[in-house]
Amino acid sequence: MNVLITSAASELSKRLAIAASDSHTIRLTELQPIETDFDFTQGDLGHDESTNELVKGIDTIVHIAEIPTHILTSADQPENLQIDFQTRCTYNLLMAGSEEGVKQFIYASTLRLFDNHDEDWTVKENWRPRPTTDSYVLSKHLGEFTCREFSREGKIKVSILRLGTLKTSEEVKKGEIDTMCLELNDAVSAFQGAIDAPSKWGIFHIQSEFSGSRFDIGNAKSHLNYEPKFDPTV
Amino acid sequence: MKVLILGGNGYLGPHVVKALEPYYTLRVTDINDIDTKHESMQIDVSNLDQVLHASEGMDTIINCSVLRHDRQLAFDVSTRGSYNAMRAAVEQGMDRLINTGPHFTIQGDDYTTYDYEINPDVPPHTSTGLYPLTKGLGQEICKVFTEHYDIHVLCYLFLSFQEHDNQADGSDVNPFTVSWRDAAEAFRLGLEIDLNELPSKCEIFNIFADLPHQQFSNAKTKRILGFNPQDNFEQRWHKKSQ
Repeated sequence: MNVLITSAASELSKRLAIAASDSHTIRLTELQPIETDFDFTQGDLGHDESTNELVKGIDTIVHIAEIPTHILTSADQPENLQIDFQTRCTYNLLMAGSEEGVKQFIYASTLRLFDNHDEDWTVKENWRPRPTTDSYVLSKHLGEFTCREFSREGKIKVSILRLGTLKTSEEVKKGEIDTMCLELNDAVSAFQGAIDAPSKWGIFHIQSEFSGSRFDIGNAKSHLNYEPKFDPTV
Repeated sequence: MKVLILGGNGYLGPHVVKALEPYYTLRVTDINDIDTKHESMQIDVSNLDQVLHASEGMDTIINCSVLRHDRQLAFDVSTRGSYNAMRAAVEQGMDRLINTGPHFTIQGDDYTTYDYEINPDVPPHTSTGLYPLTKGLGQEICKVFTEHYDIHVLCYLFLSFQEHDNQADGSDVNPFTVSWRDAAEAFRLGLEIDLNELPSKCEIFNIFADLPHQQFSNAKTKRILGFNPQDNFEQRWHKKSQ
């Protein structure tokens, strides 16, 4: 299967590319140039022909949708850039994908959509997201909104992976345990599961599993064969 | 009350200005030059700093800005423009904002293909069309802000505007048609209503004439805002006499 992964400069994309390349052919894209041995195209995910070219021949798009930190921090209006990237660029990628016959789209969202809920609530995928106005959280909510309409029209299959707090195992060992902790390699395995199990429309809560972990991941376990390995309490 | 109008020189804006100018102090803004007797500013709603500046000292915002066709500009104006308007309203401590959009901001093809008596209190199904989706995202932003700040948003949905004296015989009208003057009057009602009478802090209203089609419903608008359209285009939906 041919898989396009966006935000290639992010640690998650780098690790996913390596892991998924065992069984898939990987193409990467990013807003800025990067050094990589994989097929790579720099692009801004605009609505010109270049985005169609980017997705031609691709079976699955994994849209990690993370703006490189230095681009975000140097922007005149970072909140506007965040919203623009998660809405317009996601729309462009979905539109190009549906025009070019891409079958599946996987969007990386966030479990921070439930930041304001009590930690002891049994939040699952059938709970309505209650995003704050924080531009990152709000924009991920809007990204999901955009994806949903493409799925509803049957233009492309869409899986939404709402991620916990991404950390490397080294970072986890240094700090306090975050109840939404998602170790990077666990995240990679969730995306691998999603690539192999397309849904017409699927939402999955993804975090590492340990005593005191906040979100139920049963849906991902049963549909994506997600089996997180990392336990920050050990 | 001091009212900031965004998109004041567009399709709908000048009618809103005409309806409100006897009652309120207006600051009319648009991305294009504006010929108006009111205070005016040329601003780009996709620029947060410009919207913040335009909102200084104002009591409320009416957002009539829209751009339909260009993909970059549609997201700039209809989506990020709503974010910037809400940021400005919150920073100025405003208690209400009126947002606008086409009916498919909420009630998209999914509804209109199959249903009748479509009311505005349904989950948004915008479709993937550029205009409805970008407006739907803008309205979703408004809703999220109302869940975290002490501000009310009234979202007015429109589709087809007609001159009130357009009475061409027997050609039918779009079932979401309203006259310019009735549409504009709805804004005065939205500025006047006691916010405690709104069922929630984010309410959506279908703004159209009393028409016999009943594909959509304007009952909520009439019940809550007291909307009483003068023009029902009766000659349009009667067949021509033989």
